[in-house]
Amino acid sequence: MFILLNIYLLFIKIKVLIIYLLTFIKIHDNHSIFIKFDKTTLIVLNMQNSTLFSSYDFLKDTWDEMFSNNDALRKQYEIISNYLQYTSPEELSKKEELSKQLFMHQGVTFTVYNDEKGIEKIFPFDILPRIITSKEWEKIENGIKQRITALNLFIKDIYNEQFIFKDKVVPANLIYDCPYFLREMKGVTPPFDIYVHITGVDLIRNNDGEFYVLEDNLRTPSGVSYMLENREISKRIFPGILPKCNVLSVSSYPDILYKKLRQCSTQDNPNVVLLTPGIYNSAYYEHTTLARLMGIELVEGSDLVVKDHVVYMKTTFGLKRVDVIYRRVDDDFLDPMEFNSKSVLGVAGIMSAYRKGNVTIVNAPGTGIADDKAVYTFVPDMIRYYLNEEPILKNIETYQLGKPEDFAYVKKNINKMVIKKTDGSGGYGMLMGHEASNEEIDDYFKVVNKNPAAYIAQPILKLSTAPCYIDGKLSPRCVDLRPFALYGPDGIDICPGGLTRVALKKGSLVVNSSQGGGSKDTWVIK
Amino acid sequence: MLSRVANNLIWMNRYMERGYSVLNLLKVNYSAHQDSPDLFPWTPIINNYCGSDSGFSSENSIECINHMIFNLDNQNSIINLVTRSRENARSVQEHIPRELWLGINSYYLYLTKPELPNKLYQEDPVVFLDRLLNHQLLYYGKIDITQERGSAYYFMDIGKFLERVIQISDLASMKLKEIAKTSDALERSFLWKNFLLSIGAYQLYLKKYKSTFQEDFIIKLIFQEQLFPKSLYYCVNKLSRHINQLIQTNELVNNDLEFLLGKLQSTIQYTTIESINEQGLTNFIASIKNDITNISLSINNVYFSNQS
Repeated sequence: MFILLNIYLLFIKIKVLIIYLLTFIKIHDNHSIFIKFDKTTLIVLNMQNSTLFSSYDFLKDTWDEMFSNNDALRKQYEIISNYLQYTSPEELSKKEELSKQLFMHQGVTFTVYNDEKGIEKIFPFDILPRIITSKEWEKIENGIKQRITALNLFIKDIYNEQFIFKDKVVPANLIYDCPYFLREMKGVTPPFDIYVHITGVDLIRNNDGEFYVLEDNLRTPSGVSYMLENREISKRIFPGILPKCNVLSVSSYPDILYKKLRQCSTQDNPNVVLLTPGIYNSAYYEHTTLARLMGIELVEGSDLVVKDHVVYMKTTFGLKRVDVIYRRVDDDFLDPMEFNSKSVLGVAGIMSAYRKGNVTIVNAPGTGIADDKAVYTFVPDMIRYYLNEEPILKNIETYQLGKPEDFAYVKKNINKMVIKKTDGSGGYGMLMGHEASNEEIDDYFKVVNKNPAAYIAQPILKLSTAPCYIDGKLSPRCVDLRPFALYGPDGIDICPGGLTRVALKKGSLVVNSSQGGGSKDTWVIK
Repeated sequence: MLSRVANNLIWMNRYMERGYSVLNLLKVNYSAHQDSPDLFPWTPIINNYCGSDSGFSSENSIECINHMIFNLDNQNSIINLVTRSRENARSVQEHIPRELWLGINSYYLYLTKPELPNKLYQEDPVVFLDRLLNHQLLYYGKIDITQERGSAYYFMDIGKFLERVIQISDLASMKLKEIAKTSDALERSFLWKNFLLSIGAYQLYLKKYKSTFQEDFIIKLIFQEQLFPKSLYYCVNKLSRHINQLIQTNELVNNDLEFLLGKLQSTIQYTTIESINEQGLTNFIASIKNDITNISLSINNVYFSNQS
């Protein structure tokens, strides 16, 4: 009997021990999942997946989005970095492949024409997101709102009273010489005085950590569908990570856009359409996506007709009035009666309907004037002039060689400068100070000396870098940022995010898709 | 709906329907060719779809299938049909369900994979063709369960049934030429059976008339069967219903459409076997083809007259 009892007690002891051991293991499991981040754990973790970060060589004098100068991880990247530590390169490569397939299968492609045979390509996508803190975003948002408000006032002013010329803030000849200035718009007042409904300002982050405006893109900026599509892909390849990071959603963009377009009409139930140049346009995918997500009709020029200064679309029911046109056709091609007479992409007579106020064109024709390189340098002055405020976002510093003190500064710092002709474009007639030989510099200055006023100089840009997943490793690549702003009668809204374009070639500063550029998802975190 | 969109929807479905019927024909003829290459040659099929001056001539089954699927110079190759159907779908994305666009896009991506043509030479061709047929069937299934029954659906159906009538009558005249070449009763019955198979009516025929292949029964089934989706009667009936629905909602201008359809319907429905035999089946089919061409032109005219 006693023996039996002993055995029973022993059995209970063993059971308790087992339960204790089990809990112990469980606690430890929890610990390994929720690791607190500090520098030491990062080092420990680095050892687990060291190949990924092994060759992360920073570009000199460049701001990196993920790491600060002393190699410390920036706080906003902690969660994603933790995730990467526990994901093998094979797994990441699989995710990269998945992202490519998702783009192809949804038809998120653009067509490159070669030998008359179109080849559909995807815009390269880097799986790692670019992360922006709420503090940084607040400044970007306020800065863009301020800038667009001023630019809109400027466009209104130059097509009407032209106070800014009379007050000698901007020289009049600068505007009249610009090909984007449309005389056809003089005295035309669009509904609610809004000209630039949709903008995609290009920003870069310099090595001082500040965002600078590179271009304003006030005509028909594209890329917003990639902001939406990249986010959908991120959700697939980083399951559960977005909510953990408190990433702000971008999915309401089409709803906001539709609301603003609707508000631009004086009609009760306006018919809003999206005008595309057609399936051969490289942004055709974007046009179909936006039309589909807003539930509006996607029209081509030949679907529209103007009768008695009213625009109609040709439907199976007959003609149906069109009230708002979100056009993705350039000014030049909009109306063959007024601009390029050979254009088949536009609608004959649309400008007359617009002048009569029978249709709203978004963005208004003639906004390109404020998008011009030479006009760009005056934007900070416009902000001061129209709003009596200091610019929140800086312009890239521009030196007018016509001013002797600027000229002297540029000459002294030529190896950090790029000199451009004010009327030049496409990179012609430029001098890149850091690459040129002394002889080339001397020769260039001889030409400049003849008419210094025709030249400007800017410091050579240092685009910030962000980690990209390339060949199984993380490497820094240069990025820019294009947030999309929507201007309606109820104010300006900017979707928290945007298109981050990335120069996938090592050391390259060119983010354009035509020259080896790609894109990243952009996370703005709460 | 935009007139251009209506036109895109019609053609999106016409190209897909043609693809479906080409693939069925290729599959049936491949098997028949294994039995009797002389009785089931490839040349009439190639000539029907590519024209007799296409410059392509072969009796090698795989070469012929390859030509009908992958040749880019062949207007009616599957790859061209799917590309054009997809192009139409692409510009009407806001009118069709997302599933449909994703499906047709993945069919296109599958067909344009560079390694696919090689598979035709390595695999069992029937498995290969079945895989493509599956894409076609998925397409119909997606329309069935996701497309709103409104004008877009009616325009799509018009495309489908117009093309089906044309395909069935083309196939019928093609087979009749073959049948006329022989007086051997057994060969004739093989050819008739093959005709039923190519249309997809073989199983129903067996069920209705058992395994005796009589010309009159076959004509009755393919031309006048009321409830069979691949009979001319059924197709024209559907066509007329959808066109009338669009006319009633003012989305299609009548012109002479109602008259043309009514005439065709009664021709098919009320012509007796005796009178078909009297005028000759070939002539009968020719008159149907003529009528359907007029209907198709009339729909196009409506579309173009809306353009101005």
